[in-house]
Order: sequence, then structure tokens, then C-alpha cells
Amino acid sequence: MSDNSGTTIVTGAGSGIGLALVKALVAQNLSVVALDRNVDELVGIRSASLHITEGDVRDRSTCLKLASAAEQIGPISGLICCAAVFRTVPFLELDDNTLAQTLDVNAKGAMLMCQAVLPFLRQRRRGSIVLFSSGFARTGGIHSAHYAASKGAILGLGRSLALEIGDENVRVNILSPGITDTPQPRGNMSEEQMLSRASMIPLGRIGQTDDMVEAVKFLLSEDSSFITGQDLRVNGGAHLF
Amino acid sequence: MALLITGAASGIGLAAGKRMAQRMPVIATDANFEALLAATSGLGHQPFSILPMHIDVTRRDSVKAVVSEANRQLGPITALFNCAGINIRSPFADIAEQHWDRMIDVHVRGSIVCAQAVLPSMCEQRSGTIVNMASDYAVVGMPGSVTYSAAKSAVYSLTKSLALEFAPFNVRVNALGPGPIDTPLLRANRDDDEWERAIEYHKSRIPMRRLGLPNEIASVLEFLVSERSSYMTGQLIQPNGGQVTW
Repeated sequence: MSDNSGTTIVTGAGSGIGLALVKALVAQNLSVVALDRNVDELVGIRSASLHITEGDVRDRSTCLKLASAAEQIGPISGLICCAAVFRTVPFLELDDNTLAQTLDVNAKGAMLMCQAVLPFLRQRRRGSIVLFSSGFARTGGIHSAHYAASKGAILGLGRSLALEIGDENVRVNILSPGITDTPQPRGNMSEEQMLSRASMIPLGRIGQTDDMVEAVKFLLSEDSSFITGQDLRVNGGAHLF
Repeated sequence: MALLITGAASGIGLAAGKRMAQRMPVIATDANFEALLAATSGLGHQPFSILPMHIDVTRRDSVKAVVSEANRQLGPITALFNCAGINIRSPFADIAEQHWDRMIDVHVRGSIVCAQAVLPSMCEQRSGTIVNMASDYAVVGMPGSVTYSAAKSAVYSLTKSLALEFAPFNVRVNALGPGPIDTPLLRANRDDDEWERAIEYHKSRIPMRRLGLPNEIASVLEFLVSERSSYMTGQLIQPNGGQVTW
């Protein structure tokens, strides 16, 4: 990926898809700035091209400092917003804290990071932003109204930003995974439930983090140079809209 | 491994053939065999061979003949790019029945017949990818291109149903929905002035403020044919500079 030789920022880098992304990018000797509230898994990665920051995407000053630091390391070429929380809660039991945390981490955090990096990408007229939505943004999910709403916000945010900055050659796209084998669904589901979900997916399996990593690498690369404002649904055919 | 491309004599199909021949043997087919030969003759080995063949996607015997000759020379076809397309711009009131039939024949029946010709061996091998050429206009429509939009919407719908039917065989089916791309098809039947006006019109509707290039679609095809997209099926990927975002 010589066309993505600058620095890539990954939020939610401490686990799941974000962590897999960090590993894949540093394996290619690409410069990565990784943000998460919990960096235990990240510190185990031995790579000179990995720069770890412990922090919260809900905090604007954290986002601004992160972007400046990344730009110092090397021109920012990509931003991948993976940070998200998801805990299923029956709708009438949804409390203010869970609601605020879900909306703030999943949606507002992406908005703050986009605002933080955009000046740098804009001045070079180059860059690719990938935001993580979810199949639930379209289908909804039981006990998931708060999560679906936060991921729906990502669709609106990503598309609108793509339209606003398309003529500046900064691309913004969205990746909507189906259920993926990460700590997140495993926190809500048993092994039997995971297997049962796999059997309902046309391609017959749960998504792997590598499936999402490849899609992100495609969206970061020049292979997708005319793709912006799109939602890439990597879900084994689980839903087609 | 071999990729069959229809509509390979020009535009996106030609760009796809050149790009994919870096990865696997390509059977490049077109109804206009002379144009196809002219476009592919200088290419040689790239490093894989490009096998040019005449095809009429509206005729099942023609498609079958291509597939069996390709099988004989290159082995089983593992990827199909249904790229053959035509466009007849016309006010709706003036559309003749033959015009409608031709549009549906080339885009819809052609895609179905080609898919039917390659799917049995893909299912047998439990591996294969089909990429159908839809369009932004499958989603949003376009004045003066009613039949084109209808045909492309049909292609998108057939993509989704094929994806569901053949997922159990590990055959993935996706569609490309490009925006305006600088190709002979977009340029067809327009003099220089009309072409300049068309470019300005399209640019004004595209957030990236430019037409796409054929190779920018070929690169997406390469992604969809590769293992990099092994968990994607039934999807419409729109390399369109942001023209349509849903």
C-alpha cells in the first residue's frame, strides 16, 4: 500500500476490529497512531511504527492533541474510527448513562475525530476517512435501539461529510460489519447463540476481523479513489441494503 | 483460475481486462470482435494471457460456445464480470418496443445467461465470484435513460437474489454501480459540444467534481474478485465520486 504511506489514526484500537487493524497496518511498516481507553493489548505489539495513546474519543482536546501528534509523526493520510461500545438493554431499562455513553463514544467521538483531522487532510487535498457503522443501523436490533441510533448517526455523518469535502479529494466512507468474532458480541452472546447466528448468514459464517481489515485497507488505498460517501457492507450477505 | 469479461472491447471492460491480466488469465469477449481485437492485440502476456473471443450475450449458444472454448484452453472459469452494456438515450415517449427489448436483452438476459453458463462449475468447485455491472441510475434514475435505469435496477435485483441462492456454494455475487465514467459509452452519439456540456452537467452533480476513470472501476472489480472481499456478497459498490450515497 505505497499509496497510503502517511500516518493512519485508529480509534478503538485496543480490541476487536481496531486492534486487528493496528496489527495489520504495522505489519506493513505503516505508521499508526492508536487510541483507546484500554491499551493493554496494544503495548504488547512490538513495532517502532506504532504510537499508542491512552484516551477517550469523547474528549475534544484528546482528539485535537492526537491529530497534532499524528501529523508530527508523519502526514496524516487516514483516519479509522472504530471506537464503540455496545451493551444490549431492553428499551424501557435504558438509563441515561448507557444512552449517553453509547451515543457519545459511537457517534460523537467519530465527529470529534473527523473535525480534528480534517484541517490536515484538507491542506494536502489528500486523505481517506473510514467510519464504522453496523448492519443494525439499517435493520435495528432487539434491545439495541441506542446502539442502532448511534450507528445510524454514523451513516448521516459520513455521507454528509463526504459530500461537503468531496471536491477537496478527501474521501469519507463507512464500513458496516455484520456480526464479527470480537469480544463485543461475545460479551452479549453465548457460543451457541454465535453458532446459531452463523447458520442464518448466507455465507454460513460469522465475520472475522480480517474480513473488516481487508475492506478498510481497500478504502484507504488508491484502489478506491473514486469511492466516497459509500457504505461498504461486509456481512456475508446477512442483509443486502 | 480464469476471468470471463463481457463488453471487454472498450471502456471499463477493457480496463478490467488489462488490470486483471496481471492476476489471472482473462477471456475478453465482446460483440464487436474487430474492436476487441484492435484493443487487445498489442497487449500480449500481462503476465497472464488475454484470450479475445466474440460473444453475443443475448444468444445462449454464443455464450455456451465461449465458455466451452475457454474451458478447453484455460480450465474452469472462476470469475465472471458481466460488463457488456449499451445505452440509448431517448425521451420516454419515443422509446420503441424494440429499444426496450434490446436494453433488457443485453443487460438483464445477457447477465443471466452468462451466469447460468459459469455457475455449475463454480458450484462444483465451491468457489467463484460474479460481478454484475449495475449503475448509480439503478438507484436514482436518470431523465432520458428510462430503459437504461430499468435494466440496471433489474441487474441489481438479480444480483441480490443470485447472491442469496449461491452463497451456500461459496459463490459470491456483487454489483458495481459506477457514476459517470469517461468511456466511449458515455461519449457515444455526442458531438464535441454535447460532450463538453455532458461533462459539465455530470461534474456539477458529483461531489468529487470529476468523471471517474475506467481503471478506478477496474480496481474495485479486482477487490470484488479477490479473497480480500471474501465476506461480501449481494452488495452494490458504487465508485461514483459521491454522486449517490445510498
